[in-house]
Amino acid sequence: MKRNILIVAGLAAGLGAGWAGFPRAIYNSRPQPVDFSHKIHIDKAGAKCEDCHAIREDGSFAGFPTVEQCGACHAAPMGTSAAEKKFIDAYVTPHKEPVWLAYARQPENVYFSHATHVKRAQLKCEVCHGNEGSADHPRPFEQDRVSGYSRDIWGGQGRPGMKMSDCVDCHRRSAVKNATAVGDLSCLDCHK
Amino acid sequence: MTTRRELLQFAGGSAMGLLLTPAPWRLITDTALWSENWPGIPRPARGEIRAKFTHCGLCAAGCAVRARCVGEQPVSLSGVAGGLCPFGVAGHHLPYHPERLKQGNRKEAAEAVARAIAASGPERRVAVLDLQPGRTASWTYRRALAAIPHGVYIAPPEPACSLNFAAARMVLSLGAPLLDGFAQPARVFAARPNFRLIQAEAMESRTASAADEWLPVAPGTEAVLGRAAAGVLPVRQAAEMTGLPEGRIAGMIRALRENGPALIVAPQMTPEVLAWNIALGAWGKTVMPRREAPVPKTWSKAAPAVALETVKDGSIGALLIDESVGDGHLPWESIRPKLATDAVVVAFAWTRSGYARHATHVLPAAVYPEALGDVPPAVDGVNAEFRLTVPLIASPDGTIDPAEFVAALAGLDAKDALRERAAAIHATGRGKLCTYADGKVAAVKDLKPEDFWKALSTGAAWTGDAEESGRTPRIAATFAGPSSEHWPFRVAIETACAPALASPLIGKLTQESHLRLAANRAALHPREGFLDGTRAAIETPYGRRIFEVTVDVAVPPGVVLVAGGPEIADIVGADGCARVVRI
Repeated sequence: MKRNILIVAGLAAGLGAGWAGFPRAIYNSRPQPVDFSHKIHIDKAGAKCEDCHAIREDGSFAGFPTVEQCGACHAAPMGTSAAEKKFIDAYVTPHKEPVWLAYARQPENVYFSHATHVKRAQLKCEVCHGNEGSADHPRPFEQDRVSGYSRDIWGGQGRPGMKMSDCVDCHRRSAVKNATAVGDLSCLDCHK
Repeated sequence: MTTRRELLQFAGGSAMGLLLTPAPWRLITDTALWSENWPGIPRPARGEIRAKFTHCGLCAAGCAVRARCVGEQPVSLSGVAGGLCPFGVAGHHLPYHPERLKQGNRKEAAEAVARAIAASGPERRVAVLDLQPGRTASWTYRRALAAIPHGVYIAPPEPACSLNFAAARMVLSLGAPLLDGFAQPARVFAARPNFRLIQAEAMESRTASAADEWLPVAPGTEAVLGRAAAGVLPVRQAAEMTGLPEGRIAGMIRALRENGPALIVAPQMTPEVLAWNIALGAWGKTVMPRREAPVPKTWSKAAPAVALETVKDGSIGALLIDESVGDGHLPWESIRPKLATDAVVVAFAWTRSGYARHATHVLPAAVYPEALGDVPPAVDGVNAEFRLTVPLIASPDGTIDPAEFVAALAGLDAKDALRERAAAIHATGRGKLCTYADGKVAAVKDLKPEDFWKALSTGAAWTGDAEESGRTPRIAATFAGPSSEHWPFRVAIETACAPALASPLIGKLTQESHLRLAANRAALHPREGFLDGTRAAIETPYGRRIFEVTVDVAVPPGVVLVAGGPEIADIVGADGCARVVRI
């Protein structure tokens, strides 16, 4: 009897550690360098995603805006928030680039073209990035301690995942036919 | 009291529980992902994609290059208005070559050369060997050597004329790799549809296979056809020497004379080859005087260029070799006899595969596309040109500019030599400036000096105005008789380029696609009587190297085919003559 209790107790401990403890322990959580509000920029300034996250003329994605771009509007505080003042003092005035932590960076062995998805397929940013564009505060960046990848690759909170199977599923649903393979996908369509 | 058995029961339960959670399976996935990102795996650069322009410094052709850069890092090179050769396409790999030199003791080398200068005399001279003459750096060497007592400037001979492929309708190539890196690929291939190409060569080279007609002559007898075309050798005698039918040679000569303008091209455009062209009436049409961009008047005191053969044996006390650029190469065994027994040899090199193997001091030099310099006049440049090799990336700390080193020995300040020369060109008010980025051509007289220099230093090219060819030079087309029978073989080198000039990637592709010979093997025709796998010595006027024999029916009799490399480059001269001896 006692033996069964110990085994069940161990089983419960294992399940608890695996389901509750492990997901917390595996990720390293870090705040973004600036308490940036997408919501204020969209609601009050009427900004659109591509105003700051532009696609360059050559089709490459510019990613995060530079501090020079931010400084075009925020050379002096436009509001009264402490976050804005802190941002100007710490980054805009000394011309120092903030080290943003990218939630959705693809690994180095993958080609991903924002231009193809946004301009050609007319996908909205929210399809992949969820409601990030309307958040009032940036989420902390959670990085897998072993693989080094962002937690966002698994999806959740209204966002689809970023794993290869997620890409393939979406391409199949959308009946996307890639250039180098008729009717199906080839490894080298996406992988370097 | 908890027993060990109870602990194990608890641990067993925990292990079973963990197997029913995502934890172990995630750890397997994460470990696999981690292994794809080992530290040390190269990461592609991220940043804005931009185009930069420069000129290729790997050979005297100096092709215009468009570099695709991510941020500041060049990631691919392509030609402007035409192609690049395979070496040029992979030129941006060279700074990362595994044999790259990055360290050297400048002070020690400078002191050794200073001692040699102090001890110099008429029988113990101080020399610079410049493997790519005609550059601004070459002018610096010549100016410095004019100021250094007993200085001598040694350089391989420059072409005796310039070639105008655009005007040619018949081209006879005497073994020149015309379609394989001999001149600017962009210019040659732009003109190619307009001329008929006859390639005279023992081997079926890439140029021979792409020519309109291939004349498979006996090895080493290519020049015979040039002499026959110029009328200094009877056709019958030319047929006997080359092994070609008399009628075929007569037909070729008739085609050259009747379907001109004609052009005869040889690997070295010597005065004799110029004389054959003049005899065909090519002067001012397909062969022109060689033009050089103007230089400042203050540079007039410069040492003349001297051929290595004319230097007395044992008379060089200090030799400085600039092999930082260029495809020119003189066999080391032809240089060695010229040195005094205790001579100081300083090699400015970016790799240890070349003369650095023989030097007493090796100083690391920048390599294309790190080095700022200019390109000598191209063999197919009709007008004078001034083109800079604009650095695409920074050279590593510790690299030395050979021209500045030599100038410092003579007390010259040559840091701004390129800029001074650009100012001298601008002062003439002649010529045009082409900027590749926007394709615009501007007259020099409409530009300010600083704008002219700024454009040049971002990859623009200056071209001089067209000039009259002047009076036809008087050069006798002579027949020197058949080449010496002491050297019945001709060495064919599979990859004719300076040692280690190629990116390792190009070498790998060549090996995989061309089934290249190993560096220790030489291929011979079965008729030569050597057995496969036996050892043989290749002897040349400069030295001897031992190889293992590969018998290959594709190699013509009289030819010994070897892979390119430093060992063979040490002994094979421009004419490639050799003999093969059983050992």
